[in-house]
Amino acid sequence: MMEPKTQPPVERPPSAETFLPLSRVRTIMKSSMDTGLITNEVLFLMTKCTELFVRHLAGAAYTEAFRQQPGETLKYEHLSQLVNKSKNLEFLLQIVPEKIRVHEFKEMLRLNRSAGSDDDDESESGSESDE
Amino acid sequence: MVERIEDLNLPNAVIARLIKESLPESASVSKEARAAIARAASVFAIFVTSSSTALAHKQNHKTITAKDILQTLTELDFESFVPSLTQDLEVYRKMVKDKKESKASKKDSSVAESANASATPAAEEAAE
Repeated sequence: MMEPKTQPPVERPPSAETFLPLSRVRTIMKSSMDTGLITNEVLFLMTKCTELFVRHLAGAAYTEAFRQQPGETLKYEHLSQLVNKSKNLEFLLQIVPEKIRVHEFKEMLRLNRSAGSDDDDESESGSESDE
Repeated sequence: MVERIEDLNLPNAVIARLIKESLPESASVSKEARAAIARAASVFAIFVTSSSTALAHKQNHKTITAKDILQTLTELDFESFVPSLTQDLEVYRKMVKDKKESKASKKDSSVAESANASATPAAEEAAE
């Protein structure tokens, strides 16, 4: 059966129920520096908000990669691609980095080094004594 | 405080379920992708919390409120979350209020009943 699935992936009815455990979300919130008292209402909202974020991240990565086609597999690289593209996911750049191959990494190092040594050449007379 | 770093992980099964619900039918998720989403969600929670705390402090408030979080989400470019979260919050507040009221009315009625039927106040209380 083909179901007309035109609604955005994050659609859901409002509800006071949470899926994620509140206690765990509280621990996570407390791990952030100088978080004061956490009211039940704030805890509820944060939990809901995190759930929404999971839905959003998964749905957006999938849509970006396959549109709405059924049956595909969402992979790591789809997530890192989305993170790289989206301004509001910038805070995840170091959490979900794009993977690179070893030889690409070596090439990067080589380029960096040669760029670095160019800099050294320019300021040779001034900063040599630092080393 | 956090004793082990695993304490910051969100439960895998719940994350898997949330992901599945947000994908089209018969789509699947690689293990690595699921782990990355779970990690991202923890970091998101920390990120929003610390941003909201900063916002609250700026307004000389010690504790964050629901309003601080919603405002922070807008500032962080997640304003698309705000309408549905606002609705959730309304449902939640109503639930809390109803709970309080039903508790209060239960107390009232049990008091009234025990006054009426003074022979069985103990049984009445045990049923509570």
